[in-house]
Order: sequence, then C-alpha cells, then structure tokens
Amino acid sequence: MEYTAAVPEPTKRAVSELSDADILRRWRDEPAPLLPVLHAFHDRDGYLSEQALRAISAGLRIPLADLFGTVTFYHHFSRSPGGRDQPRVCDGPICQLHGTAQLTAALSDHQPTAMPCAGRCDQPIPVLRGDQVLVGTTAASLSAQPSPLPPPNPGGIDECVFAHIRDQDRAQLEGYGGYTSLTQAIESMSPEQLLEVIDSSGLAGRGGAGFPTGRKWRAVADAPGMPKTIVCNADEGEPGCFKDRVLMDHDPHALIEGMAIAALATGAERGFIYLRYEYPDTEKILTRAIAEAVEANLLGNNILRRGMRFNLHVRRGAGAYICGEETSLLNSLEGKHPFPRNRPPYPVTHGYENLPTVVNNVETLCAVPPIIEYGAEWYQALGKGKFAGTKIISLSGDVQKPGNYEVPLGLPLATLLNDWAGGPQPGRSIQAVTMAGLSGGFIAGDDLDRCTLDEPCLRSMHSFLGAGGVMVLDDSRDMMEVSRQAMSFFAHESCGKCFPCRIGTQRLTERLALEAGPRDFQAWRAEVEDIGETMKATSACGLGIAAPLITDSLIRYFSDVAKNRFDK
Amino acid sequence: MNRTDDKTENKQPVGTINLDGAEVPFYYGETIYQVSQRYQSNIPTLCYDDRLEAFGGCRLCIVELEGARNPVASCTTVAVPGMVVRSKTKAVEKHRKVLTELVVSENPRGAKIDPLRGLASQELGELAARYQVKGDRFAGKQSGTTNTADDNPFILRDYDHCISCYRCVRVCAEQEGDFAISVMNRGFATQITTEFNQTLSESACTFCGQCVQTCPTGALGDRKAMRAESLPGPIETTRSICPYCGVGCSVDLMTKGDKLVGIRPAMDGPANEGALCVKGQYAFDFVQHPDRLDTPMVRNDAGQLVAASWDQALDRAAAGFARIRDKYGRHRVYAVASGRAPHESAYTIQKWIRTGFGSNYVDNCSRA
Repeated sequence: MEYTAAVPEPTKRAVSELSDADILRRWRDEPAPLLPVLHAFHDRDGYLSEQALRAISAGLRIPLADLFGTVTFYHHFSRSPGGRDQPRVCDGPICQLHGTAQLTAALSDHQPTAMPCAGRCDQPIPVLRGDQVLVGTTAASLSAQPSPLPPPNPGGIDECVFAHIRDQDRAQLEGYGGYTSLTQAIESMSPEQLLEVIDSSGLAGRGGAGFPTGRKWRAVADAPGMPKTIVCNADEGEPGCFKDRVLMDHDPHALIEGMAIAALATGAERGFIYLRYEYPDTEKILTRAIAEAVEANLLGNNILRRGMRFNLHVRRGAGAYICGEETSLLNSLEGKHPFPRNRPPYPVTHGYENLPTVVNNVETLCAVPPIIEYGAEWYQALGKGKFAGTKIISLSGDVQKPGNYEVPLGLPLATLLNDWAGGPQPGRSIQAVTMAGLSGGFIAGDDLDRCTLDEPCLRSMHSFLGAGGVMVLDDSRDMMEVSRQAMSFFAHESCGKCFPCRIGTQRLTERLALEAGPRDFQAWRAEVEDIGETMKATSACGLGIAAPLITDSLIRYFSDVAKNRFDK
Repeated sequence: MNRTDDKTENKQPVGTINLDGAEVPFYYGETIYQVSQRYQSNIPTLCYDDRLEAFGGCRLCIVELEGARNPVASCTTVAVPGMVVRSKTKAVEKHRKVLTELVVSENPRGAKIDPLRGLASQELGELAARYQVKGDRFAGKQSGTTNTADDNPFILRDYDHCISCYRCVRVCAEQEGDFAISVMNRGFATQITTEFNQTLSESACTFCGQCVQTCPTGALGDRKAMRAESLPGPIETTRSICPYCGVGCSVDLMTKGDKLVGIRPAMDGPANEGALCVKGQYAFDFVQHPDRLDTPMVRNDAGQLVAASWDQALDRAAAGFARIRDKYGRHRVYAVASGRAPHESAYTIQKWIRTGFGSNYVDNCSRA
C-alpha cells in the first residue's frame, strides 16, 4: 500500500469482532500471554482503554496498578483513542540528518509523534502507522518497501550469515533448502558434540556482549530445572543497527534452525523470538516461516520423528530500548515491569520463569547452522588473524553505500568505509563514526585510520564493537548536537531503576544542550566527567555504563568544539 | 531503618569474607550488606528496607569486590567464602558523594522535612549531611510532581521530594499485598502512581501507612501527625501495643508535651515487623477527643444521659439483664466479646454468660 497523496490517508485497521473474552481465551493458556493480549486489545480498539486494562487485569490476574504502570513503560502503547494509528516518525540519529523535522511537520494533520531509531538507517525515514512501515524523506514519497538486501559481496570475502541471503526465495522453506544442519545434528550428533563444535568455533554473542556462545549453552545444558527455554533477542533497539531485521526478513529459516539446534544442544523445549515493535513486517515473515517449519515437522512435539520437542513463539515488544537488555527482556516476556534484574543469578540458571534460559541475538543464532554444516575450523578461519568469525556491521550516515556488511573480525575500519562503502560523499571528509550504534561513543581523528573492527582494538580506544552499528558523520556535522541527540536518546530510554542512569542521562543531556550547569567550560567539564565516571562505575546495567562514552569521546576528540560554546 | 535479623541466631556461619581487612563470618544466603551491618553498619543506602527484597536501585551501597571490574551493589551481592571486599575506599566514597549530589539535585533545594512526616523521612537529609552535599552541583530539571489532587486525610503525596527508590511500591506489594501503587513511565519521567493515576481513595490502597513510614525523603507524609508540626517541643516516643484487635502490633506513640500527635509501627514489633493497618496507624484521635467519655453514664427518668458512679451503672445494667431473663428466658441474652479485650475480660464474659445465665450463647468477634 502506498501513500499517493501528499497528505496520507489513515491506514485501515482490520475491524475485529473479537470480544474481550475471546481475546483472553485465545491467549490465557499460552506462554508469555501479556504482550500478545495487550497487542490484541490495542489492535482491536486502536488504543488501550481503561475498560480493556480492567478486563486484562481480571483475565490474567495482574494487579491493575501494576498493569497500568507496565503499560506506560512502553512508548508504543497508546492510552488515548486513535493513538495506535497516529504516525510515528523515526528521529534516530541518521533520520534526523535526513529531515525528520520536515517530514514530521508535513504530517502534522495526523498528530505525528517521534519514535527512537526504528532500524531503517539504510533507507530513511521510516514512518510507523499501526502495522505498517512506510519509508521516504517526504510525505509524498512515503511507501512500503521491503528491507534492503545487503550490498553485494565486495569480492572474494567469505561470508557466514550472508552467504546465501541474496538467493532467490531464501525466505521460503523450499528456497532455504530444508534444515540440513538440524537433521545432521539430530541424526548423527550428541548434545555434547554440538556443544563442542560451537565451543571450538569461537562463536560469541553478536548482540554486543560477546559472551562465548558455547559456554552459555553448556551452562544451560548443565543447569537443573525444566523446561528450559531458548530466547532469541530480536529487540534490535540500538540506534544505527538494522542487521537483525535483514536476517529475519530474508533468511528467517536460518534463525529458526539455529534456535532448534540450540534447543537440541541444551535440552530446551520452548522458544521465543522477542521482536521489536517497529518490525511489523518481520513479524508476519517469522510467523509464516514458523508455520512452514511446523508443517514440515521441523518444529513441534516430535521433530523429524525423532522425539525432539521444541515449540517456538513470536512475542512483539511495544517500544522500550531497555528490553534489549536480556533480563529486562525476560521480565517483559513474563509480563512484569521491564526493569533489569539483579545479577547473579544469570539467565542461564534463572531465566524465563526462573528456569535455565539461553538468550542469544539473531545474528548469533543464524551463524549456528553454517557452523554445524561446515565445522568449527571453517568458522574460526573466517576472521582475520587471531579473531574468530565474522560480524555484521550496519553502516549508515554520511557514506556513499550504506547497508549491512558482513566483515571478517579484525578488518580495518578504513577498508570498510572507503573500499567497501565508497567513502564519504564527494567533497566531504569523515569527521567521526559512532561505534556499537550509540553505545560505544565516537571514534575520530587518527583513530579512524588505526581502528580495526575487533574488541581488543576498540577497547583500547575506550569503545567497543557491540551490536555492530557504525554511523558515519562527515565534517558538516555538529558533534555537540550529535552528542546531545545521542544522550537524549539514552535519557528517553533509561528505565528509571537505578539512580546514576536515571538522573545522570538527564543531567548529561541538559549539559550537552547547555540548558543547565556551569557556564564555565572547566567547571562544565568537571561536572560532565564526574557524572560519567559514576555512571560507568555504578550503573546497574549496560545502558548507564555505556551512555557516558558519548561525553567521554566528545571530550577526548572534540574538546575544542565543546569549549567554543563557552565564553571562557 | 535496620533491624538485626534474629533468624540467623541459631545458625552456623558458612564461611568468612574479608571486609576492609578483617575476616568476618557470614551465614548462608547473606548479602555483603547484611554482613557489613553486623560489623560496621556504615554503608549508606537509600533504597534498602531490610523487610523487602533487595532492589539495587540507589547504588549507594556499592563496594569494591576483588576480581570484579566495577564496584558491586552490596545489597544484592550474596557473600561467597573468600570474597575480598573494600567498602570505604576513596573511589567508592567519591561515587557515593556524586550519587548523593545527583539525587539531591532532582529535588527542591534546601527543603526542611519535618520528622513527623514519617519514620524514615530523615534518611536523605542525613545522607546529604554525611557527604556535605549542599545542592550546589548538577543543577537541572526536577523529577517529581506533587499530587495535590489527592486530598485523603491520611497520606500526603508530596512527590516533589520523591527520588524513585520504589520503597513505597515494594512495601505495598511485598509486605501489605495491596499492589495499590506502582511505577509509571520511564527514566527521569518516572512517577509513583496508582491504577489510572487516580487518588489513593479510588485505588486498592487500604491506608495502612507502610509506604509513608518507609519513605526516605518525606515525599509521603503522615498527614495526621503533620497537624502537630507547629506544636512546640521535641517528639517523644513511648512503646505500646495497638489496642484495636487481637494481633498485638507494637507501636510507638509519638507525643509532644502531653499531646498524642501520631503513631508509628515498631520495626522490631514481633507481631507486625513494621506493619500496621489504617486503624492502628491513623485512628487515635479518640484518645484525647473532647467527646470521649470519662465516667459511666445512665439515663435519668427523663431519658437523658447523666454521669453516674460505677456502682450505679453496674446496678442499672444488672437490673436490665435480670428483667430480660425473667420475662423472656435465659436464651434471650447473647454475648459477643470484643477482640480488643484481653484474655481476662474474654474469660470473664464467658463465665458471666455460662454461670450467670446458664447458657452457651457467647462468642468473640475475633472469630468472625
């Protein structure tokens, strides 16, 4: 469906005849029912009414005050009539560069609201309207578009998760070619052998934390308590990251097969894909692919007639960056207020419903089938030098060919930027890039040439690779303003549980906007650094620990830019 | 607000940790914070209430743990044999000061919180004094919004002073089981709310007052006690037992001079551990009410109540019961003893019915 007029028509919501009781009956006995129930009411009514929340509270036996508080946590749940279908215009860092403000103004008759980065940085600007994502930089050009495929392989580079993603009909089971790795694993490998292969491949978490996947799986396999769960973290909320979307949209069976192999290795019987709200098309693709797999007896209660049981469910988030933090995600799945949990204990022993749980990123799980097929050594050798495997980099911003690139770990950043992606726009030079989306702060100056894409190098530059979002900022960009936008994102997404993050992200945003704080640069810098140091040392989760990397790197590379905003 | 946990008294230690250079024993399941309480009690906190599950929100109780990259929250970190913990290094104290400066910066400057607001209401002020925080750093927006619409007679919701420690939300859920209040929005926009952000009277709140007593800033205030803010003199407390029902909750009666100004639950009360109900917490005005009877009353021939002696009153009551028994029979008298009365009174009542009337028509309201 396309917007043909300059002023788009509201999207038509399928009129639902379902009663409150119908919805509750449909979901009440399913695992993790709260989010789907909330979405069903939200979709039916166009918002979450007081009456709806009262029905859900009674139906799922959740205290009303708790339910109300939890609903207000998610920014995509609307509490006023018609709110669900009002356009949400992406104001992520890249989209702001492409004209979020103008597009929002053009849609002003439809009560548009801003939403944080919606993962379409390779094709800005996404506008979400109910179940529909449209993209375009002007109201007239807004149209529904499939996820862009990764750019062609730059030549001679071995890929892992992208090796077949560009194949025709890859998203269909027939085009995918059946679950050969799962079949091989069930027929000829013990769980222990599977764990050994994953262990020795060197595969590590590709969502950002980099925890060795084999060790995680083994901890779950060894942990007491049943049933065990495989959770795929598909809440790709990091600004500038859109790699999981392309994997799920174009290669959903790789993910499902990877999850089934994880289940086989750990003894898990149930799985969830926790998908961010901003990917409604992906939900349809995944739901369809799961149905195909169930039909082909590749999921279910007797997989390949070998007695293996693994049932997979998709759960859609509702707008909260923190739900990409694995323990917040688990609380969200369980219908609780999505604050991060205190650790230890870790999810491997106390995860979903306090039972052993693997939480893996989409990219990690998609790498599993090829590793089983080609072996641990093959995967290891994909990296450069001592680094094992590959990493998808979501590259966006001021570069000629933005998109998802699967790079060998250890690749020089300059090779990616200049040789693969065509370098900056003509007449421009690259001033800085962000790392780990926004969580790794900036890399700039001489470090741009010295940097290789691997954790040891990036850690030495006080940054990290994280989920692999790299946003390029050329010399036309105001680094103070870019920093303010970044910090205001973290402030918007801070959950409010721990003091350093809740207050610190707010105070840093005010200081980057020069709205509050000392008017003397040295005093300003002392406040910013004190807040940052305490946030990094004492925050309860990664959000508060990472946010000050923005101010740290601003001061490290662009101290003069900041200083120029002050009289003295 | 800390109690010694007497549940550990009869247990054997499971190992020792090194706490600031001293080897100290700990019991199974104890956190570093709990261990430290026995030995130095000097680690600051704002979100901790030892009756509640440790939350780990304020981060003031951070300590350095050998082998850990970052300081850990001592309230959520379970002691393991051989741990080496440093609780008062320069770095840790610096972070605590910055955290205190941050939390002070989100509230109105220089506010004086009357201790009548609640038992824990001085905690933030004491912390600010300890770290010499004057409120001159980290200026910016204020986070809380006082709920002026909620005019219930018991609980002031002065959220300008709220620091989002969620002790109120957690005590309501974990101790009282009411789930009347919860957390709305996220981050700096977080507010304490009820269902649909209504007033407490419209919510599931039972006005037990536990949220008020655990609030570390006085953002929640005991409105009945606050009536006495302008009375001169110090607040004195007297330990007593709540007279309302048979549970026997320990309370501290707050007085200024000879005036009863408020009631507080005793955190170390064996029957209540800091809990009270709306009656025990707020229904004390009768004690010094001008309408309160201080002598027996009987009706005169004109039907008006007049003061009488105990003998006159008891004779009149006895005559009345005797007349009913003689006219209608002994089963027309039925006694229900009050749950507020002590054992001796309950015994006397049943004795009076059983031997006095020769009937078993006696009960006690605590059974209902």
